[in-house]
Order: sequence, then C-alpha cells, then structure tokens
Amino acid sequence: MREKLEKLGLNLPLLPITTVGSFPKPPYLIDARRKFATKLLGAEELKKLEDQATREWVALQEKIGLDVLVDGEMYRGDMATYFAQNLGGFKISGPVRSYGNRYYRKPIITGEVKWRGPITVDWWKFAQKLTKRPVKGMITGPYTMMDWSFNEYYPSRRDACLDLAKTLHEEVVALSNAGAKIIQIDEPALSVRPEELSGFVGEAMRMVTRGINAYFIIHCCYGAFEFIYPQMLDLPVDNFDLEMSNSELDLVELFHKYPFTKDMSFGVVDVHSHIVEDVGLVKKRIQQALEILEPEQLWIDPDCGLKTRTREETIGKLQAIVGATKEVRKLLGEG
Amino acid sequence: MEILTASTGSYPRIGDSPEQQRHRQAYAQRERGEISDDEFERIQDEVTREVIEEQIRAGLDLVTDGQVRWYDPISHFTRKLGGCELDGLLRFFDTNFYFRQPVIKEELEWRGPIAKREFTFAKGVSPKPVKPVVTGPYTLAKLSINRRGGSFQSLVDEFAEVIAQEVKELAGAGAELIQMDEPAILKNPNDFPAFQGAIEKVAAGKGDARLALYTYFGDAAPLYGKLLKLPVDALGFDFTYSPSLPVVVAKLGCEKDLGLGLIDGRNTRLEIEREVLAVLKTILPNVGSERVFINPSCGLGEYLPREIAFKKLQNMVAIVEKVRGLT
Ligand SMILES: [Zn+2]
Repeated sequence: MREKLEKLGLNLPLLPITTVGSFPKPPYLIDARRKFATKLLGAEELKKLEDQATREWVALQEKIGLDVLVDGEMYRGDMATYFAQNLGGFKISGPVRSYGNRYYRKPIITGEVKWRGPITVDWWKFAQKLTKRPVKGMITGPYTMMDWSFNEYYPSRRDACLDLAKTLHEEVVALSNAGAKIIQIDEPALSVRPEELSGFVGEAMRMVTRGINAYFIIHCCYGAFEFIYPQMLDLPVDNFDLEMSNSELDLVELFHKYPFTKDMSFGVVDVHSHIVEDVGLVKKRIQQALEILEPEQLWIDPDCGLKTRTREETIGKLQAIVGATKEVRKLLGEG
Repeated sequence: MEILTASTGSYPRIGDSPEQQRHRQAYAQRERGEISDDEFERIQDEVTREVIEEQIRAGLDLVTDGQVRWYDPISHFTRKLGGCELDGLLRFFDTNFYFRQPVIKEELEWRGPIAKREFTFAKGVSPKPVKPVVTGPYTLAKLSINRRGGSFQSLVDEFAEVIAQEVKELAGAGAELIQMDEPAILKNPNDFPAFQGAIEKVAAGKGDARLALYTYFGDAAPLYGKLLKLPVDALGFDFTYSPSLPVVVAKLGCEKDLGLGLIDGRNTRLEIEREVLAVLKTILPNVGSERVFINPSCGLGEYLPREIAFKKLQNMVAIVEKVRGLT
C-alpha cells in the first residue's frame, strides 16, 4: 500500500512507527476531570488543560521520533462511551462490572442513532496544527460501538451495527474534509462473534469507508484471530493493527499458513505490562514480523492504547520501539 | 406443574447510590492495605445479605448469594486448587467481562470446600431457598491453559472430581438444588463425550440434592436431545441465542425440571410480556416437568447495572404471575 500512501502525499519512512491512540493522562488532567465530574471545575477550564496535555503529547511523540502521530485522547474516558455521549440515540448506564474491581458505564441505544455534528474533528485539527507529521483521525468502529452498548431500540445486532456504520461514515467524511489522510477505526470487539464477520461486519465497514480517499487502519485486540483469519482480510481497509506481543506472537504461525495480503501495524510492546521491553526484544519481534511480511507492508506500534501505563513506562516503551525500528531499518539498508 | 421464579447466578454488587458503592470502596481499601481481610469479608457478608434481600424484594422464589465474593466463575474455583496458578485476563465468552485464566501445572488437588461457606452463610440469612452455583468441570477445563501436558480428557476428569467434591459438600450443607454452569459445551459440541463423562461423575456424588445443568451464551438447540439424556434433575437454557429452541423443546419434550432463561441478562431492554408468554405457550403444554423455573438467561452481576437488574427481575415476576393466572 506504499503506492496509496504516496498518492495521498504521505512520504513515510520504511517501517512507519505509530501508536494505537491513547496515552496516559497527566495528574493535573486526572484531577481536573474529577473536579469537572463533581462540578468543581467548568468545561472551559477542563478544555484548557486537555489542550495543554495534547500539546505535550504531540511534542513528546515528535521528540521520541514517531512517524504517524495521534492526539493522545486526553478528552476521552471510555472509547465507546465517548462516542455514545456525542451521538444522538444513546443514554449512558449505571456502573457495569468489567473485571475485578473495575466498572464502566455502558452506552444504551434508546433510539435511532444520529450524527449531530463533528465529534473528533476539532481535536484532529488541533493536533495536526502542532506538527508537520501526519496525525491519524480516530473513531471507534460501528461493530464495537454496537457490541459494547445495550440495544433497546434496534431489532437485531445487525441493524444496530449498520445504522452505526451509516452514522460514523459522516464522522469519517468530516475528518477527511478537514484533511485527515490516515483514519483509524478501532474495533477491539472484532473477533467476538466470528459468524458475524462474514454476516455483516464487512458491509458495515464498507459503509464507513465508502468514497473516502484515505488510508484506513483497523485496530483489533484481545482477538481470537484463528476464527476470523483469513476472512478478515476482505474488510475494506488498508492496514490491520494487531496486538502481537501479549499473545506471545501465536499469530505468526497462522500468518505463515495464509499469507497476509494487506499492511499490518505490528504490536511489539505489551501495554498490559509494567515492564519496559528492551531494544533487543523489540528488535527480535520486528524481525519475526518480517518473516511473514514484506518490509513495505509493515508498520510498528504498541499492542494497544497506552493509557493504563505511567508516563515513564509509556516513554520507555516508545523509545524501545524507535530504537529497535531504527536498527532494523539499517539492516534493511534504509535510514 | 409448579412455576417458580429464580435467579440464574450473579447479581450486581454495586449500584449508583452511595450505599451501594460499599463493596467497591472496601475492595479498593483492602488492595491499599487500609482494611483487613476479615473486615473485607464482613463487608462481603453485608453486601450478600443486601443482594439476597433485593432478589426477594423483586419477588423471586429461589435466590442465590449473588456471587458477591467471586472474582469470576473460573478463577473462583481454581484459585484454591493445588496444581494450578492464575494467569492474565481473558474475555469471558463473547461478553465484555474478563476472567483470570487458570494455568494447569500439575495434577489438580482439591484442598477443601470452596463454595460451602458462601452457601451456608447465604442460607443462614435468607428467608427464601438459596441455590448454590458451581462452574462445571468441562467449562473449567476448556478455559484453562494446560501446561503440564497430558490429555484434555484427563484434565476434564480431574476437574470433575473437584466439582463432585464441591457438590457433595453443598449437598451435605443442605442444598436442595445445586446449579452447575457449563456454557462452554455449546460452542464445542464435538467434546460431548468428555463432557458427558464429567457430568456423570459429578451427578454420582449429589446425594439428596437435585442437580441443575445450566448452559448459556450460545444456541442449545442442536444439543438439546443429548442434554435430555444426562443424569441431572434439571436443565437450564439461554433463549436469547436461539430462535428455534422453544420449538425444539416442545417437539422433544422434557421430563426433567426446566430453567427457562427468557429474560435477557445482557440487555437493559425490559422484556415484553406477550413475547415471553408466546414462548411459554409453545413450551409448557409440551413438557412433563414438575417444576419450571423462569429465570434470566445468565447471571446479571457482570452484565447489567444494578437498578436495571432489579427492574428486570420485577418485570419477570409480574409476567410469571400472569402465567400462573392462566394455568
Ligand atoms: Zn486495543
């Protein structure tokens, strides 16, 4: 897909380095969000601090040496709830248990899902103005929005997903019109019900991406990919962003059997672990990726969003990625 | 035929009101070392009492302890076993809930009752009958990582011995009906022989208690005929995954007691009376069950907010009252 990137005017180095989307919020922002929730802080003050944190993360990404940047999602709580709060047709539930002592508020679809105007576009513009490197547009995909919401309105999961796809398409159009050339669709739920992948996920994804001149990345994690591969390659996206480190690279076997025909963002550091990987380990993982992919197909990133790591762990992991990628680029005769 | 309303297992341990935050706060306090394990246990007792009271207030005939003390249905039964360690989090079937995955390192060793104290406590504080729940041997084996080598079959058999012990202890503690959950078999029908052997082993030790085998998170219609032949006293099904199940049940009948999971335990939408009645009209005239339990499709604790769980149960009870009026 190098050709498509070039046509879009994107001149990326071999093995482009990016991240999945979220970064840890600085303590002052966590504090401000808490105060905002209990009405001790106004929306404007909160926004100022979100701007500040976004600026800091954009600058840090440049400094560490990433090639494709993200805004860091300083303004989001949960990735599904954030979109649900900004679309019509949703309510938010009381706390639901996720694991251990973790609870989250789940969206409830109570009416027809509607796009009320741009959700992420101003954030994308804000971040893109801060850097010359491309910033990814980021949306939570229709399948995950459906799977992570209660559905009180639509007769089936399919109906809910397709209407969400239609709605999110408008957000993608708005991102594209604003100038976003790389758009990531987050679909962590993608492998939850393999039978639905062939059933309606493809249709939903075509609705989201239809007619948009952009390089599309789909991010999936916690996957049972053995059940959806290779069918998932039919999805109308250019790049699959997969969690590879946490699964101890089990997937590499699978991709040996059926060649991977699209680009891949290969997760090389575990976002659930406090341990910062060393350059040697990350380099080894990149080389394993190159056993199944051509260098032109390969992007390098962490397994998933880094929001649950500390700032130091995040920086450490990103530096390991950049260090390792540079070494591999040299071995490939680049950089 | 007696028609009863029942819980299917877990119940939300926290809610939106400040009093309902107690479990969450205590959990965090214990993690920070601010309260002792005994103090945390006392709070879990209190919350158990509270969720039993809530189920009864909703009108249920048969309640559970809400599984307030469970980290998840898998690690709860493997945590205390010898030969087994706990690994990272994994998605629990197709839900948004995560469980700690057991890693089997050696032969399993049962070191004493796991579910008995919880049951005894709940029974002691509940004015209504309490149903203890255990996770079945096949599901425990299927969701574990086997790092010790050896066959899957032998792992299933060892888990069957463990759960048979648990069931025996529960029966000895006075449980009249014990629910055993085996959701994993629905997506793995080829494992039925191993599954069947395990169920037989557990059933052999149930003594005077009645054993109810519950499945959920999948379509039970293809396995229904085979499940009927197992040596259990009751079968429970999740009807939310299977449009054909009511007709299959009506066609093949049932002489065991039945648990009908007609209330969607994973969606906030309240059931519509006439839709539930239509399914019951298909099933009830065609089965010879002595007792039919109307219950949610699965435990509610991990899938619904507390106030909705309560409303769902209330709504279910109201629908069942209509049915009792009809029969
Ligand atoms: Zn992810």
